[in-house]
Amino acid sequence: MILAALILILSTAMFFFYFQVTCQKVLRRQFDREYFQSIVNANRLEFPSWRKSLEEFGAPVDYPRLRMMLKCDFLALTYLLKNAANVNQRYSNEERLLILYFRWQFLSLAVRRLLKVGEKKAVLRLTSVLQYFANVVGQRVNTVRFGNLTAADYLLNL
Amino acid sequence: MDSGIVSYGFQYGCILIEAGLIVFVAQSSHRNRFVSVLLYLSCLLAAGLARSYILHRFGLHSAQYCYVYWTTDFLLVISAFILVCLFFRRACLHQEKMWPFVRLLLVFIFVLVVGISGLIFSRNYSHLFLQFIVEFNQNLYFACLVLNTLLYLLLQQIDSVDDQLGLLVCGVGIQFAGPAATLALIHLTTGEGFAQSLGSLAMRFCTLGMLLVWTYAIVPVRGRAVVTRSKAAVLAEVTAHLNI
Repeated sequence: MILAALILILSTAMFFFYFQVTCQKVLRRQFDREYFQSIVNANRLEFPSWRKSLEEFGAPVDYPRLRMMLKCDFLALTYLLKNAANVNQRYSNEERLLILYFRWQFLSLAVRRLLKVGEKKAVLRLTSVLQYFANVVGQRVNTVRFGNLTAADYLLNL
Repeated sequence: MDSGIVSYGFQYGCILIEAGLIVFVAQSSHRNRFVSVLLYLSCLLAAGLARSYILHRFGLHSAQYCYVYWTTDFLLVISAFILVCLFFRRACLHQEKMWPFVRLLLVFIFVLVVGISGLIFSRNYSHLFLQFIVEFNQNLYFACLVLNTLLYLLLQQIDSVDDQLGLLVCGVGIQFAGPAATLALIHLTTGEGFAQSLGSLAMRFCTLGMLLVWTYAIVPVRGRAVVTRSKAAVLAEVTAHLNI
């Protein structure tokens, strides 16, 4: 009984550990340039400024506003992921995985807030997911805008 | 939704992805790097197909299904252990001093698992075949989970640049940890119906998770986030936009 309970606890912990590591490995993907900045500016997203203030100044967290900001940015970016320059109009597998990861981290933020442990870490993880989404959207928009067609190509085809 | 339908959906989805991955890996120029993956996927596919056929032919409660299930489970556990061993070999490719020690550890763990399973089996001879296999499978499965975690820690320790191996290890971790947890839950709840159906779903869900992570790791990243549109489509859209 004790052994089974121990295996249950250890295996569950390992499952979540591997899930988190997989998501972080996906998030580590390099983009050829920072596409997220244009998406952030165009949609007035707030997460980079929150992350900067957290990273650089360690500013105290206004929790209700932070939560609202994360939620709004997440909704905006997931909408863009699905609809902006996406021919299939559906998420890819890694996007689905990261959406799940974001929700899990969002829940974990609430728990960390209650326990007052490692809130900053959770917020940084959430913003890194948002940055990844913004990069993907930016890259897609960039690809569609220029596609295989440069301005010169277009004029030549008229 | 009926959990049986979801479970079958997962099962056939897994079989399709396994077959697709096997074909992709076998055709790729880097197939020598993925011998371990190919072996494990082939075993998974063979086990899945054999179980489906026997289930369809003889039914869930038949003795044939029981024997085929546990024999294929034995095959899967052995191939999982070989997979972990080959991952260790790949991790120690540039650590020649470490490999003899790791090899010795792997052999020792295998002998230990066989010994412990044999010891428990020797107390009860009534079910000669199944008793040993069930015990051995459970023990080796948990040993693989622990070894996989050690491998992950080793990769961090040696600061491995093989990011692909890291992802493959994470996939294996998901595949081993989920079922281990659900088996323990079934044991704790003394095999209640809800726990059993949850266990069946969780195992297939974890296999699907592993396959998706492996697909992400093996299939090249290039073009994944890129929207591909034909030149004509872009031209038509721009023309329509400008009303030319």
